[in-house]
Amino acid sequence: MVQSRGSGRPEGLRAARLLMVLSSISPLFILWAIRGNKVIPDRYFIGFCALMVVLPNVFLWLRIRIAKRQEDKRELVVGKADDHRDHILVYLFAMLLPFYSEDLGSWRYLGSSLAALTFIVFLFWHLNLHYMNLVFAARGYRVFTIYPPADGNRLTGKASHALITRRVSLASGERIIAYRLSDTVYLEADQ
Amino acid sequence: MKLNFDTDKVSVTEFGVGLDEGDGQTFVSIPVDADVQAALREMVASTWHAMQRHDDGPTKYEPSEKHGGTEYLYLPLKDDLATVMQNLHNAANLPVNAGVLADPTAVFSYLARMTDDKGRRLTALRRATQFKGILKSKGRLVRMLDDSLRIVEDSVFKLDTDFDLLVDSANVHILRPSGFEFAGNLQDAILAAVPQNIGAVQRDLPFVDFSGIEEYASKHPRAARYLASIRSQKETKNIDKTALRALCKTNGVEVQVKNGKVTVADGHEMDFLEVLDRRRYQLELVKGSPERFRAGSRQRIGG
Repeated sequence: MVQSRGSGRPEGLRAARLLMVLSSISPLFILWAIRGNKVIPDRYFIGFCALMVVLPNVFLWLRIRIAKRQEDKRELVVGKADDHRDHILVYLFAMLLPFYSEDLGSWRYLGSSLAALTFIVFLFWHLNLHYMNLVFAARGYRVFTIYPPADGNRLTGKASHALITRRVSLASGERIIAYRLSDTVYLEADQ
Repeated sequence: MKLNFDTDKVSVTEFGVGLDEGDGQTFVSIPVDADVQAALREMVASTWHAMQRHDDGPTKYEPSEKHGGTEYLYLPLKDDLATVMQNLHNAANLPVNAGVLADPTAVFSYLARMTDDKGRRLTALRRATQFKGILKSKGRLVRMLDDSLRIVEDSVFKLDTDFDLLVDSANVHILRPSGFEFAGNLQDAILAAVPQNIGAVQRDLPFVDFSGIEEYASKHPRAARYLASIRSQKETKNIDKTALRALCKTNGVEVQVKNGKVTVADGHEMDFLEVLDRRRYQLELVKGSPERFRAGSRQRIGG
């Protein structure tokens, strides 16, 4: 999990983070669309699922494009780095599979599933877990949590960041140039 | 002097502001678009050009000197007086806070941090006087929209044409000494450093009683500056006791010898520090009419 700023200031790009969370759960809507359900006709349900898949991912693509166009990048110094491939597994088993196996056969079950999904979305948004995305994993990216160096400099930032990169490891002291997707999530610029 | 940074091959440009938050200065990063980044790079280039226009090259910054509005000075980044700049330059991953300009009262400076294609870093800093100045004109700024003038409702900030100083891996390059002193919190740092500076000078001059001078300098910033300058010049070693007393006498600085130590009379502390800082001299161009002078600024010539 990526730590928010210690000063208590709100994290920026709130709407962007929400859409990135929706993007991260978009595979669930693909599974739901394939399964269908008994209470909503397929054309509406599949349309809704398609919208929930396309819109957030288009937004994510746009966010990356805007960050690149506006040169919205910065240098991050690695103090310590944790590889969080396991987060994808947790995400897969803790969210995708349970929701997929949920019974959507009645309005009540459908409502409870959507309510539970809303809680999950809120938690992902609140805990800055919006970097967990199967699209990134499928394209060979890894997610690292990088902690700032303990250099004794009181001006050095105290927050950790999520770095999406194709690297397989990060060494302490390494300096990375990355695009800002949100204040805590960065995508390494092409080398 | 060269800048240890290639201003033509900048790969990252970040913008940030310095905040005075009561418990000390902090710096935060604010995301800016490509146009603002280009403007910041132009400011750095014009700062460097302005420095190059000073033909006599950079001289080392000395806290006791009275500097002009713009001068090209330098200070090694490892110098004690550059601690704030050193911390800022070496700080990693400044916190991002895009909302900080919603209440700009605590903003005292703004900065650019750049990285070139070789991974070298440059920090540029400017006192936020003009930057915030235009906020007072809110509701008075107009712009042409369609074919009529309209009030600009947004908060508008103004970038200057250059920075007060640039910091590379080796030096602080200073264009506006007052900006450096303000942003570097130098007055407080110099006053706080009085005991250490006294200790260092005392080691070189064990025959001088500095107790009265320490008390005086801890309350008088100008004296504290002289003291910092005397220490940084490292020219107090091997000063001859007799020569020092003779120079004091020539320049009307009252000193006495008590218990084998040279003691400065009350009210002559500044005068004595000026003697140690090589600012007091006497001429006698007209025979029998000696003239005493105090140098506001001095520069070593010859050996």
